[in-house]
Order: sequence, then structure tokens, then C-alpha cells
Amino acid sequence: MTSKKKKTITIILSVIAILIAAGAFYGYKEYNRKQKDISDLSAHFTLNSNVLITDFTKDEKASNLKYLDKVIAVDGILKAIDKDDKGNFTLVIGDTASTSSVRCSMDSIHNTEATNVKEGSFINVKGVCTGYTADELGLGSDVILNRSCIIKKQ
Amino acid sequence: MKKVFFVLSMLFIATITNAQDKFFTKTGKVSFDATATKSPENIIGVNKSTTMVLDTKDGNMQFLILMKGFEFERALMQEHFHENYVETSKFPKADFKGSITNNATVNYTKDGVYNVTVKGKLTIHGVTKDVETTGKITVKGGKISAFANFSILLADYNVSIPSLVADKVAKNAKISVDCSLELLKR
Repeated sequence: MTSKKKKTITIILSVIAILIAAGAFYGYKEYNRKQKDISDLSAHFTLNSNVLITDFTKDEKASNLKYLDKVIAVDGILKAIDKDDKGNFTLVIGDTASTSSVRCSMDSIHNTEATNVKEGSFINVKGVCTGYTADELGLGSDVILNRSCIIKKQ
Repeated sequence: MKKVFFVLSMLFIATITNAQDKFFTKTGKVSFDATATKSPENIIGVNKSTTMVLDTKDGNMQFLILMKGFEFERALMQEHFHENYVETSKFPKADFKGSITNNATVNYTKDGVYNVTVKGKLTIHGVTKDVETTGKITVKGGKISAFANFSILLADYNVSIPSLVADKVAKNAKISVDCSLELLKR
């Protein structure tokens, strides 16, 4: 084997080795990838809670296409703070006179932020929209945001 | 006349107390576990925003689940669940409508753990199937909770798993339900 040939083979082998290592590294990173923290993501939509509710009430299908899986920042009156038996908080935002609300289920790492806000105050919350439940069970209609966090004002 | 008034007021009270029969939650927990013996890790998704209504008078119950609310520990697993398997953009909702068949044996005003059988129709991925399972109703200090564990055959709901990973995802998914209910005030 000439030294030229040897050199070519070495180069090819090292390129293959690098590709395999890069692939393995990418695969490993992908496999272990965690959900992103919503507070680090910018919102696709920024709107008032009543606008979001009205959009879904008018046309659920179109709103699903528009809002599902998107990061949404809503503002509005904090109607209630729901705490379940496991300690998870849900912030209920909307008009106090209406049974419809935007329900923001807090992300576990931002859960305690819910203890810093007061019912009746005006707040900004960001979360991923998971859909809409129409008022078919007599419970009012709700738009749900998941993995929510409270937006801190500068 | 007095008697008529008495009967009428009794009827009125009776209709008011009817409103005390319904219990609900909007933060019910439903988890999905498709971990197979050959799975390299647990395949568990949890939904913390399940809506459930239970009518204690006749045992009728209804669940509504926004499928997008299922969260997994690994982002990749969550994306596969939503995009490839259960296609939650196409089918964003799942629901269950059914009833407790032995509702008469549950005393909702007395603390205890009551074994129940629930029968109804479950809709996931656009497919509706009859489901029957056992579960528990617990009453503790006036608080009612509902629990159930059952499994569903993914193929029944047209959820297909690619052959490449077929032995790493269970064919039967275990579903568990954990709902603490509160009184529905009108």
C-alpha cells in the first residue's frame, strides 16, 4: 500500500468516526431533551383573556389550529387560585361576572409563584395552550394553558 | 291551603337539594402508562387538567380530557405521543361518558371506601369503545374522590406503533384516574 493510499484511508476512517460520534452525541442529547421552560420562550400571541375565550367560543376548530401548542401570554383579572390535593396551582383568569375563564395550570418549577399573587388583581401569565372545553357539563367554558408561569413586570 | 303551601315548599327544598348531588373537578389527574418489559425507560404521560362531573344521585359520570395536556418527562417522547401516535392535533379531545352500575351501594354522606364498577363509552383518537372497569369512591370528611385503573388496547383506538419500536411500547396502555371532587354550586 502506498503512503498516499494509507493517508486517504486514514482520512476517510476519521471522518466516519467523527460522524458516528456526532450522531451518537446528537441522539443522546435528543433522547434526554427536557421540556423547555416557558419563561425562557417568547409568546406567539399576547392577548387579553377575554379575547382568547371569545375566539374559542366563536370557532373552536379554527382556534385550535391557531393556538394549540403555541406559547400564549394572557392578561386579565385573577378570579381564583385553585390548589389541588397534590399542591399544584391553577390560576383562573377572566371576567368575574362570567363563568368562562382561562385556566393556567402552573409549571411545577414555577408553581410557588402562584402564592405571590392575589385574587382580584390584574396579572400576566404565559403558558402553552392545550385546548378548550365548551360549557357542556354546566361548568362554564375554559381555555386551558399548561406549563404556565407568571410574567414578571420590569 | 296551609298543607298545599307545605307540600309546595317541600318540593322547592327538594329541588334545591338536587343541586347538591353533582360534584366536579377541573384538575383531575389521568395518567397513561405504555411501559413494556423491553422499554428502555418508563413511558408515562400525565394530564393534570382533566374535567370530571359525577352525579351522586344516579352515578352518571363524564370525563373530558384535552389530549395536548399529556406531559412526559422526555420531550422527544412527548412529541412522539402527540405527533405520531395519538395525533392530538387531529383529535384534541378524549372523553368518557358512563355510570357507576352499583351506585346504590355508595353512601356519599358516610366516610368510607366504596368499590364500584363503572361502565361507559371511551373516545380516544376519534374511536369510541365500550369500557368497563372497577374503581373506588372514597368519602372522607364530606370530600369525594374517584379512583380507577384499567387498561386499553392501543390497537382498539387505531393507535399504531411503528414495527421498529413495537416491542418497546406496550400494546396495552394502563390508564389511571385520580380525581378529588368538589360540590357543584349553582
